[in-house]
Amino acid sequence: MKLGDWLDERTGYRAISRKFVEATVPGGARFAYAWGAALGIVLLLEAVTGVLLMTVYSPSATTAWASVAYLQQKVPGGWIVRGLHQFGAQAAIVLAVIHVGYAIARGAYRKPRELTYWLSLAMVGLVVVTALTGNPLRWDQRGFWGLRVETGIIGTVPVVGGVLQQLLLGGGTPGHMTLSRLYTLHTVVLPFLLGAIAAKHLWLSRKHGPALATPADAVKSDRYFPTQAARDVIVAVAVLGVIGALTWMRHGAPLDAPADPTSDYPARPEWYFLALYEMRKPFPGKLELIATVVIPGLVAGYLVLLPLLDKKADRGVMKRLPLLAPVGLFGVAAGVLTFASMRTDAADAEFGKAVAKAEAQGTKALALAQEGVPPEGALAMLRNHPETRRVALFEQHCASCHRMGDLGPPKDKDTAPDLTGFGTKAWAKRVMEEPDHDAMFGKTAFKGEMPSMTKPPADPEAAKAFTAMAPADLDAIADFLAVQAQGKKGEGLPGEKLVSQRCTSCHRFDGKTDDEDSLAPELRGWASVPWILAQIDDPGSGATYPKGAMDPKLEGHMPAFKDKLSEKDRALLAKFVQEQAGK
Amino acid sequence: MQNDLGGEPPRAERPEEPSRVDGSRRGALKVLVALGGAAYAGAIVVPAVTMLAPSSEGGAGAARWMRVCRLAELTEGEPRRVVVVGDERDAYTVTKDQLLGSIWVTKKGESVTALSAVCPHLGCSIDLNGDKKSFSCPCHTSKFSLAGAAEAGPSPRGMDPLVVRVVDGHVEVDFKLFRQGIAERKEVG
Ligand code: FES
Repeated sequence: MKLGDWLDERTGYRAISRKFVEATVPGGARFAYAWGAALGIVLLLEAVTGVLLMTVYSPSATTAWASVAYLQQKVPGGWIVRGLHQFGAQAAIVLAVIHVGYAIARGAYRKPRELTYWLSLAMVGLVVVTALTGNPLRWDQRGFWGLRVETGIIGTVPVVGGVLQQLLLGGGTPGHMTLSRLYTLHTVVLPFLLGAIAAKHLWLSRKHGPALATPADAVKSDRYFPTQAARDVIVAVAVLGVIGALTWMRHGAPLDAPADPTSDYPARPEWYFLALYEMRKPFPGKLELIATVVIPGLVAGYLVLLPLLDKKADRGVMKRLPLLAPVGLFGVAAGVLTFASMRTDAADAEFGKAVAKAEAQGTKALALAQEGVPPEGALAMLRNHPETRRVALFEQHCASCHRMGDLGPPKDKDTAPDLTGFGTKAWAKRVMEEPDHDAMFGKTAFKGEMPSMTKPPADPEAAKAFTAMAPADLDAIADFLAVQAQGKKGEGLPGEKLVSQRCTSCHRFDGKTDDEDSLAPELRGWASVPWILAQIDDPGSGATYPKGAMDPKLEGHMPAFKDKLSEKDRALLAKFVQEQAGK
Repeated sequence: MQNDLGGEPPRAERPEEPSRVDGSRRGALKVLVALGGAAYAGAIVVPAVTMLAPSSEGGAGAARWMRVCRLAELTEGEPRRVVVVGDERDAYTVTKDQLLGSIWVTKKGESVTALSAVCPHLGCSIDLNGDKKSFSCPCHTSKFSLAGAAEAGPSPRGMDPLVVRVVDGHVEVDFKLFRQGIAERKEVG
């Protein structure tokens, strides 16, 4: 007994494949019939790529983005699978609409095919909903803000809206539970529903066969295999070509920066929802439900009722024009609205800027993710990375008094020396020339404590005795101080001698000063990283300024950050201030 | 392809009678099936609904004071966007120092006011207009006055105010989130 016989006896597969090979297509094979088959094949592609994605994806607010970034960047071929899945989903929407559109134009919704038609409408809806539940799973900005708006719309639906919204979110705000629920819907509930409906739809359309255009077609007939099958495959492969090309061009599917509820992300819906998005614009306030619920409901209702309204015997498009006109109108309106929405955004410079900013953020996040994402999640990664964090730290703790480059207190609100270029030769020179300038010590309690080396004092008596420091000496001291800021000792430099001769009457140098009561700071190692760090840790410690000069308890002095910031953060800030000087 | 040795034995013919049981036993069995079915369905549906229904748990109503910035950083009358950072409890994790949301704070003399930056319409992020005289939401162009009153667009209510206090020169805010899309101001957990 052969294996084939053995198997056939138990499964009856021969009869099944014979049925498939010998199936006929009444009226003859057509390319127009291939859209449905192509949709089926794309859905199969979605299932296979979806299962593959599930082997990497991890649905929680802290891991989702990271796992997708990992898939996109590190998993071999991961980006291809992701691209095929995402563009496949969009192709499925397009194919489903074409398929149903053709059925409507052809009048294929009429008796006895009403159910077949209704099931196909349900499929369009399910394909879209499945795509919608898939988008937020990657937990990037686009997916996240899209979800916020979509669930927001659901929340406005009268009566059930609130509960439905909470059910979807798994609580009040989007988070872990939201992802678990969307994931369950997207990977289990909706695909099973879709599969079941597709199977029934296919079975019914086989049972009834295609709706024939003319009675003359009734005499024609083709074998499904290979005449129609070839057409199905040609269309499906062409569609696959488009999906593949898009995947290749975008290197997988786009991935924005991780979802950040604090950002000013310019949210826009996916392209297939732009028409709905645009339509709401003329309906302000309470009327909005007209755009979000009433009009879409009426359109869907009309499409559902179509088979019941169309009672004419004739299938000719012309004869059914009054019934088809509204459907055509929906299509045209959707196209026009989509186009209008795209044009408004394209013309909006502000929006363009916001999009560019979001894209830059995304690129940065992906670059950081290359090194691995910490368990706190991708958003924390972005926020805690030294590059981002030190700016945030400075803004939060220093920029209310100090200015440094672009960072700083509101206009004229600075009360402490300007740190732009702190530790450079220019800064050192300036503090010797005009120590009481607003950008130096002019707004601090030290104003008036240090005399200018080049300008005579205001008091006429003192001015008489004043001799300006020679430019060469000034230069040498500034040079020496700039070297200190670099963290080098600079021993033997001409400036070192000058400092010990001319500055130590007030300043400390290697801890020594001629005037123990002076408040002037230590110049050895001035503006170097350890010096700045010591100042941040505790200005009153005596390491930078003499003890008591900077007592943080004194009004208007710099506070100590030793207990307020972690050691890491303080080190980060000290290095930041020093590094910025070089820029 | 019948195999004489290993073939299946012939099956019993179907009984002529529609059922072997009489009327009253039939009724009892029907009830049994219905009750058993209901018990089975209930055992699945009840826990399912309990499990999926949105939990009432959550911090709604409790004050969550968060330090957001220093008073000195604010310019008189000019709203500034500040980020609210705090510990985030999300289902099964607590994460330190998370970005919880952003708010607009404005200093007016000695007092400070705060408005949630979440658009009451559908939850986009509200921005300050270039002239600093009003707020707007880029999503569906809702417009708000500096005080947060809804002026144009689809927003069903004004921006949501938050309670603020100043402690040691620091601005602190009682951070809350509100439901979107409805005219009432209802807090979410
Ligand atoms: S979310 Fe702000 S206007 Fe719609």
